[in-house]
Amino acid sequence: MWERLREWFSERKQKLDLFDETNVERYDNPLYLLGQIVYFSWIVVIASGVLLMIWYEPTTHGAYNSILRIQHEIPLGWLIRGMHKYGADMLIIAITLRIYRMYFLGEYKRPNELSWMILFGSLVLAMISGLTGYLLIWNQRAFWAAKVVLTVAVYLDQLPLIGQTRFGSAIAFAFLGGPAEGQGTLTRFYAIHFGISVLLLILVELYFLFTRRKRFNLSPTALVILLVMLVVTSWIFPAEMGRRADPNRTPLPILSDWYFLALYQYVKYTPPLWAGLGPGLLIAYGMLVPFLDRSKGRRPSERPFFTVVGIMALTYFLVFTALILFNIAVIGRDPHIVLVLTALTLTLGFVLEVRYRRKVRAAEAAMPRPAPRAAVAARPAPSSGA
Amino acid sequence: MAEEQKAKDVNRRTFLQVVASIPALGALAAFAAPLLRYLKPNLDPGLGVPQGRFPPDLIEGDLPRGEPLPIARVEELSEPWSSKFFVFTQKYPQYTPEQARAFTVPGVAIKLPWKVRFPGYREGKEPTDIVVFSRICPHLGCIFNYVPDWREITAGYGGYMPPPERRHGLLGCPCHLSIYDPADRDLPGRVLSGPAPRPPRYFVYEVRNEVIVVTAVEPGGIA
Repeated sequence: MWERLREWFSERKQKLDLFDETNVERYDNPLYLLGQIVYFSWIVVIASGVLLMIWYEPTTHGAYNSILRIQHEIPLGWLIRGMHKYGADMLIIAITLRIYRMYFLGEYKRPNELSWMILFGSLVLAMISGLTGYLLIWNQRAFWAAKVVLTVAVYLDQLPLIGQTRFGSAIAFAFLGGPAEGQGTLTRFYAIHFGISVLLLILVELYFLFTRRKRFNLSPTALVILLVMLVVTSWIFPAEMGRRADPNRTPLPILSDWYFLALYQYVKYTPPLWAGLGPGLLIAYGMLVPFLDRSKGRRPSERPFFTVVGIMALTYFLVFTALILFNIAVIGRDPHIVLVLTALTLTLGFVLEVRYRRKVRAAEAAMPRPAPRAAVAARPAPSSGA
Repeated sequence: MAEEQKAKDVNRRTFLQVVASIPALGALAAFAAPLLRYLKPNLDPGLGVPQGRFPPDLIEGDLPRGEPLPIARVEELSEPWSSKFFVFTQKYPQYTPEQARAFTVPGVAIKLPWKVRFPGYREGKEPTDIVVFSRICPHLGCIFNYVPDWREITAGYGGYMPPPERRHGLLGCPCHLSIYDPADRDLPGRVLSGPAPRPPRYFVYEVRNEVIVVTAVEPGGIA
């Protein structure tokens, strides 16, 4: 068994494709530029982040002021900050789109399981890096977003058996650096924010070194377009500051960065323990989907159930985001609607899957069996007679 | 005979490998354990202390404390549904030069038109018409508001329509739209709507010379 596992792993390792560098020959299809954009925006974010570190002051008293200074006083500070923020947004958008592409086109199937798992894990890490990053501004949104996310972990203590160890509180406590959000939290988030990106970049550089793949397949034109996009965006929409964090005043409604909004709406709808378990199950589904989906085909129509689940996830992401942006939710009513819709959609996916498989089986049965050689030779005679 | 010997050799090698790996793993664990401890802040969690592990006086000593805080005169809260906000300072024992680190707990005192058994007033033995709640939402720690006009709840706090007997001042959390009834006769702070798992935490208060004095906050919870 050990031997089989090692074999599985070495095959996947050889076929590893982290930034779409082996999938296609030419990079003129924007769908297959996404991996390159991920790598490019990552470099932009790290470079601008290091520049920001020069002026940023990681204290509860000074953080907000130091960012105000970066934004308004320091020459080109607005540009560096804009590149950092919008570069990170571009990174997350590119990873997300790439995940959806791989999902709907069945690219996570053999031999790409490991690539898919690394990509999916990197989305989770990028989101954690984003969350820890925007706390550093120490504005209202950051403060409350971090508080909500960290308090969710406390409810894991309600789990039977595992809860006895109070590991949920331990997680919250380790991230908070104390019983409440304060200087300890800021310091730890600063470390995590920097640590995640840089450690992963070192691993990726090692990967490029050992596989001897080309780092960059972006054409100069695409590169310039992306850079100009970032500069223009940070010029027209300067990265916002929000209000200074006030621990005694909750904003209405409480919002976080765009990729967490749907999750926030989900937290509104569910009892606290499920608010913690739900995202965990979602991540587990994402990581394990190559092993759950054993169908042969790669096209969306050849595996209806997983296509339906993917469309449902995308729809929920968009709808929940819209709901929280406009602050419309009736807590007593909406969760039931969502549950019923989910059950109906999953049933639909299941029915479609069964129907598709039946059709395939029927088609297989209707196909003429490959006849023995002698019979093939004998066949032309009756057809010519007709 | 020779083959038997060979089999024995292999066994011995495996045996030695196992025997050697046990202390090696132990050493690794001993090395890793302090790293986990490194993540734990040097602060009392204030999350409640596991029962039966420490002598009671030690637990007493480690619970968060605060100075008694006069929050309002009784005549300030004479009108039904009038309220007073305040901020209570809770102190956690900590290994710092000051020996204690302060955290603030915002609270609200509300005057009710009827009397309820409130656990913060003489341990709920006597009914009272003044309730004092911590404004930290027991759901995910946001600071919630006292909303004297219930119509505001139906507009900005998630569209909850209270039944006729509850159309009065309510507590509403803007984060995740939990609604509490501070004036519930059986359980002040009962959850009416939203994901909150329990009523908000209460303050222990007493009335000294016509002044409402808050002395402690119900322990537990992370803020």
